[in-house]
Amino acid sequence: MRKSAIVLIALFLSASPAFAKVKVVATLQWIGSVAHEIGNRHVEVTTLVKPNQDPHLVDAKPSMILATRKADILMYNGLDLEIGYLPVLIESSRNPNIQPGKPGNFDGSHFVTVLEKPISVDRSMGDVHPLGNPHYHYSARNILAVAEGMANALSTIDPAHADSYRANLATFREKVRAKQKEWSGLPLKGKRYVAYHKYFEYLAADYGFKIVAYVEPKPGIPPSAGYIERLIETIKETRPDGILLTPYYGRRETDFLTQKTGVRSIVVPHDAGSTPGAKDWFSFMDQALSALVK
Amino acid sequence: MKIWRRLVLAPSLVLTLASPSFGQDVESRLKALEETTKAQQEKFEEQHRLIDELKSSPPGGASAPGAAGTAARPTPGEPAQAAGPGQEGTTAKLTGIFGGSAMTNPYLSLIVNTFFYGSNLTQTELDSRTIPGFTNVPVGVHKGFNLESAELMIFAPVDPYFNLYANIPVTEDGTELEEAYFVTSSLPGGLQVKGGKFKSGIGRINAQHPHAWDFVDVPLNYRAFMGNEGMGGEKGIQVTWLPDLPVYLQLGVEALQGENDQLFGADAKDWPHAFTVFAKTSMEIGDSGTILLGPYIAWGKANIPTVADNTTFTGNTDLFGFEIVYKWKPQRGTAFTLQSEYLYRKQTGDLRTGEVSDPASTVAPLTRAQDGIYVQGLYQIDRWRVGARYDVLDLLKKDYILSGSQQSLGKQPWRATGALEFNPSEFTRIRLQYTRDESSRDGQPNNELYLQMLLGIGAHAAHSF
Repeated sequence: MRKSAIVLIALFLSASPAFAKVKVVATLQWIGSVAHEIGNRHVEVTTLVKPNQDPHLVDAKPSMILATRKADILMYNGLDLEIGYLPVLIESSRNPNIQPGKPGNFDGSHFVTVLEKPISVDRSMGDVHPLGNPHYHYSARNILAVAEGMANALSTIDPAHADSYRANLATFREKVRAKQKEWSGLPLKGKRYVAYHKYFEYLAADYGFKIVAYVEPKPGIPPSAGYIERLIETIKETRPDGILLTPYYGRRETDFLTQKTGVRSIVVPHDAGSTPGAKDWFSFMDQALSALVK
Repeated sequence: MKIWRRLVLAPSLVLTLASPSFGQDVESRLKALEETTKAQQEKFEEQHRLIDELKSSPPGGASAPGAAGTAARPTPGEPAQAAGPGQEGTTAKLTGIFGGSAMTNPYLSLIVNTFFYGSNLTQTELDSRTIPGFTNVPVGVHKGFNLESAELMIFAPVDPYFNLYANIPVTEDGTELEEAYFVTSSLPGGLQVKGGKFKSGIGRINAQHPHAWDFVDVPLNYRAFMGNEGMGGEKGIQVTWLPDLPVYLQLGVEALQGENDQLFGADAKDWPHAFTVFAKTSMEIGDSGTILLGPYIAWGKANIPTVADNTTFTGNTDLFGFEIVYKWKPQRGTAFTLQSEYLYRKQTGDLRTGEVSDPASTVAPLTRAQDGIYVQGLYQIDRWRVGARYDVLDLLKKDYILSGSQQSLGKQPWRATGALEFNPSEFTRIRLQYTRDESSRDGQPNNELYLQMLLGIGAHAAHSF
């Protein structure tokens, strides 16, 4: 009787990790969204950066440190996008699982094809990312690669549910492929836009439109009055199809440009959750692309 | 030609032979082959599209606004980079957690802190301006141009278990080793150990480097109880613990050699003689607010020359503090911070006037139980930030009891400060600061004006809360 009780307890103890959900901490909303697609009911996703915050300028808040302390895996964008807080966060979390080199340290950029990797860079060029344009989440192809990386990483951490992660990945792939078909039919080829920030290069590459000028003279540096004046001239001459901005960023300048040139401003969501309908990566992309077409 | 063909054929033959060719999975292999072909087809199409794109876009982008100006102007928003989107499909494999790419070198940064100082007082008056009853150490600024320091920071992970940091401010007086410490990264249970020479974790400002301060100088209570740069680097060991709780709670203890000239003094004991404990807790308030608060205590043996000129105080020190910080960041580019710290310091012991070796020197029992507070607010809109600070000593407690009798020291020390900052980028700060300083107790105000520049190059420093 006692023996069987011990066996039962032992069984229960050995089985219990299988019931525990993998704690995923994602820096950005889209990462959380994809992690949820791949992990589904076997993961518990916490997202750190609210969509109304600038991922460059986030502080490592205590609440973020606390969440990271409990993480089984930390998933981040990489390419220095989170350089302002991630090193502090990882160290302050005191969490051995998520230190660099551990399976719980997941850098999405390791799986993607990076655009605009500068040959040479210094900070006189503004906030240029020396590792390339970090906003690769606009690219379905890259998202598929990241999702596969996530499935592998989750399987390493939680081998008991590896099959489930594989299956979720397959489902996700199907969904993305179907969407890709839908999106590739959008009439974007040959369009020309002015953009506030270097956000849309991956979309431009995938859908064949062009960013002909930027409202920011250099990434992260707001435009001066003189620069805006020259830009107005350029816009008047070239008549682009729109001036692209993201919610919370560049409204004042783009409104002014629209008023001066008559070229409309288009708000393109920059992440899941940044606009009311964009609840996950799919709806975020839907909104971004339909905003461009409108 | 024949050889070439053979070379191509040979491996493919090997491949064909090596792959299992049982009838039942012909179908799945066919499917796999089809998929591969399809993927290759997609790749081809993509590359063709790219070629078209590159052909149709002349380098330089004639329609960019820069072209409307002088020809020499660089194309706006286009740093020197490989030709165009998509062409250089390099996969980034070299990201470090601190950014950059080279593993073999530690991360380096250099921060230059320089300012212009103006005052209605003469340099002689400034050099002898103290806070009687608290400290005999003047602030140490010069009228006109000052170079505070060029601060060299070096950091990198040592191995999977330790991170290493060094902070070396180079001043005109020489090079200091302000900090050199390791931090563990892989201890279990939310524990972390820091050791070497480091800035104490007590309080809000102590752990900050001068370039991260919200004003040019530290508040009065820091200056009076810890010194012009706070506690500064101390040799010792720190253990902190972040328990797995639903709320953020960080607990810390430190054992320090105790070299701070206001609290402890290097000669107080031939042994570590300063200790601290601290706690910090934090919660989110609403969608965009965060509050952090925490009490702290530091205690130890004292042997200090800073009570008054030509004196040495020996005895015991206790310092009690409480920090509170509220940060509100409703959206990009807007932030408000309200911060306050209350400090209470008690010292009991003997005050010797004159040199120890001098038989004419006198010793009298001294008890100092004094306090002070500062309150500051900072409001940021995009690249601009305005700040205001009020700091005062002798707030609730002003005991200075020499040989059993309370000494009359003069007027209550206080200051009021306003600052305006412009931050052209994340790496530059230009600060204009005005302070009305009434801390000298003699009714002689010091109207101070600072124009400060802070510039950083090298590795990106992370922003802690």
